[in-house]
Amino acid sequence: MDSLQKYYPWFGFLGLVIGVLIIVGYFKDEFREWKQWQHEYIEQEISRATTPELKELAQTIPLEIRQIVLPESRRVDRCTTCHIAVEDPGYAGYKQPLAYHPNHDQHPFEKFGCTICHLGQGRATDRDAAHGRVKHWEQPMLPKNYIEASCAKCHTATDIPGAPMLARGRELFEEQGCIGCHKLDGFGSSIGPELDKIGAKRSPQWLAQHFKIPREVVPGSGMPPVKLKELDIEALTLFLLGQTGEPLSEYFLSMKILPAPEVGQRIFVQRGCLGCHSIGGTGGKVGPALDGVTKRRSTDWIVQHFREPAAVSPGTVMPRYDFTESEIRALTAFLVSLSETDVIGFLKVLQPATPEERGKSVYRKYGCAGCHGPTGKGGVPNPNAKTNQQVPPLMAEGDMADIFIESYITEGVQEIAKMNSNGPQPPLYMPAWEGKISEGELADLVSYLHTLASE
Amino acid sequence: MNPFFAIWKKLAGSRVGRSIFRVGLPESSLGRAQAMVSSFLLHVHPAKVHRHSLKFSYTFGLGLISIYLFLILFVTGVLLMFFYVPSTDRAYSDMKDLEFVVSTGVLLRNMHRWAAHLMVLAVFLHMCRVFYTAAYKPPREFNWIVGVCLFVLTLVLSFTGYLLPWDQLAFWAITVGTNIAGYAPVIGEKIKFVLLGGNTVGDSALLRFYVLHVIVLPGAALFLIAIHIWRIRKDGGLSRPDEPDNVLQQIETGSMPTNKSYGLMELAKGTSPAVGINPEDQVSAWPHLIFREILLFMATLAVVLFISLIWNAPLEELANAVHPPNPAKAPWYFLGLQELVAFSAFWGGVVVPALLLVALITLPYLDFKRRGVGVWFSRERKVAITIFTICVVAAVILTVIGTYFRGPNWDWVWPWKEQIVITH
Repeated sequence: MDSLQKYYPWFGFLGLVIGVLIIVGYFKDEFREWKQWQHEYIEQEISRATTPELKELAQTIPLEIRQIVLPESRRVDRCTTCHIAVEDPGYAGYKQPLAYHPNHDQHPFEKFGCTICHLGQGRATDRDAAHGRVKHWEQPMLPKNYIEASCAKCHTATDIPGAPMLARGRELFEEQGCIGCHKLDGFGSSIGPELDKIGAKRSPQWLAQHFKIPREVVPGSGMPPVKLKELDIEALTLFLLGQTGEPLSEYFLSMKILPAPEVGQRIFVQRGCLGCHSIGGTGGKVGPALDGVTKRRSTDWIVQHFREPAAVSPGTVMPRYDFTESEIRALTAFLVSLSETDVIGFLKVLQPATPEERGKSVYRKYGCAGCHGPTGKGGVPNPNAKTNQQVPPLMAEGDMADIFIESYITEGVQEIAKMNSNGPQPPLYMPAWEGKISEGELADLVSYLHTLASE
Repeated sequence: MNPFFAIWKKLAGSRVGRSIFRVGLPESSLGRAQAMVSSFLLHVHPAKVHRHSLKFSYTFGLGLISIYLFLILFVTGVLLMFFYVPSTDRAYSDMKDLEFVVSTGVLLRNMHRWAAHLMVLAVFLHMCRVFYTAAYKPPREFNWIVGVCLFVLTLVLSFTGYLLPWDQLAFWAITVGTNIAGYAPVIGEKIKFVLLGGNTVGDSALLRFYVLHVIVLPGAALFLIAIHIWRIRKDGGLSRPDEPDNVLQQIETGSMPTNKSYGLMELAKGTSPAVGINPEDQVSAWPHLIFREILLFMATLAVVLFISLIWNAPLEELANAVHPPNPAKAPWYFLGLQELVAFSAFWGGVVVPALLLVALITLPYLDFKRRGVGVWFSRERKVAITIFTICVVAAVILTVIGTYFRGPNWDWVWPWKEQIVITH
């Protein structure tokens, strides 16, 4: 039997090696960062317990992966595995990950999860991977100072409470005339790239740097540097970070409209309510005037009336408009506000402006300022353009005949004359606005341009 | 007596032990032969095996290692199937779940990935071993062809598995790989279309690759492996020199008494071990062959476990059809081919691989004289060895170049120099 003996050391050795490897594998798998945090949470719960019963209950909290499953938006957020106390106000002021998450009443976790606003990798259960700060994960967590960007995924209004930076960013985007070169939501020209999904592609650092010195991040870029204060650059960056083009689930879409008076007012004007109803004497006479409507009717009545006019007002001629529930809430908020605030502010919005004033907003709407400057003084660099390597001012155009200015706007100037005929084509050119700008807008714009010449 | 042995003997000899193993722990040559013949799992082995076949430096155990890797792949693969849905919606997030919430999910995936790569390597080296020892010569010509088919199957198995994680690496490797298949004249595009279930890599390609990977190809491989092993027995065991006595000095088999008895299973055709072989050179398969096989399996498992605990299988970004990485590379074992394709799609992608395959298949019929069988690098086969070595070295060099020396736009890069990474 000694012939068998010589194999024993080998069996012993290899068996030991495999055994050790399996044990190492087991412990490697068994030790997970999140367990440590849950232990700490349970300890806290036990020490915070006021009665023996609560203490006993706290001791039975299981160690487990916690997750919010959102099949509609194809997300599984396991953030609450470590951030286990986000919903418990008792943990306000605690250190992460055990801190309480304030202000989430409007966005309940079980409906929204975490990553829709904060980004990062919801499925991950260790810190670096979950926060998205690992190779091969394209969406690291949004830095706190940019968090308002996520509001723009759903909310298109400019007046989201608690998102002043986003509002400022949107304002700057219009003021700076970005859409003079870029397209957003199908609106704008195509000198520069489309911005619909820019937020999903670029990092905050990239965007901010690109505004300051475009050529540094995109060699050969024709984009003129955006000359703004640091905080405004941040606001503009934040606005673009929100433009992710992410398809939203039905639930989020239905939540899009805020029940705010300003939003209701916009819907009120858009849906043509003034055709029948009047406010402060302005509007149609078919339906009753709506000033102080809340003195006559309860809020419930108004809501019901929007849903099904005939149900609360038999024989009414008002048709059913199929408003969504959130639109109804916004419209109701607006009507309520009418009896609380003065209606003069509202009427001012409805006042028809002069053609010149309207032209100014057209100038802004189409992003003309992006190249021609906010007041048409030009000066934006356009390398190798014959006109002093700059986009020319618009003062001279103001003196020209209307028809000439109009054709200049509708047809554009694709070939900009070069300063050095052997040099490269100047990157900026005048796009053709034919088909994008309406007749009325064009006439108003021309009126506005005339005012520039006289200045 | 060794206490382990005593326990073992007691267990094997007990009522239950006997009902399972039929014979107790064998103590005579007859018992050793019976142990082999009466066990379903062991009866693919001969009862007695030639000493030369036990020589590790002759085979390096490469064929067995390939089978063991196949076995590891089978077991880990079945476990992985519990957690994986082959749809473009779910595949990638299933990978993430495997990583983050499935117990030992990472280890499972690592073992499957690295065992697959190791198997490609082991099968290739096994083929080289068989060539350099002239083991493909009569009567083993057909088994060589079965082996070539198994080599191709191994590559295709690995390739189909490559797509399943549905990340950028998978998506673009398969896109590049199937494009190479598309270069074949006339039928190339058709093959590509059938393989992908369309013109591009998408949902139907993922499903097809999955079905091929988990049913069709493993089934085919299992079938061919069975034939491969059965042929080894029928062709007289492993190849060995006609007069092996002079190379046997180093083999230690202990003081096993040789009773010159023959097992029933050894009564095979003219080339069987029973014919013209001195029984002195035979040793009992139990324990010498079986124990070595078990030890080799343990060693293989240990290596796979070790690698899997240290290195994680790659998982890149979610597959994105509009963002090709630059360069997009095929799996490493096809990078030699991709390098050739970079020179000429037709010559590199079609002619050279087709010629190589034809050469491999016809080899045993062109080079059939029994010279140098069972001897590494026999001096009598200088021409054949030179040609084969040139091919192997060329394949290795091309693969290394494709893997390490090719950067964006398939331009030459030095791997030790820092790469310019284009990020967005």
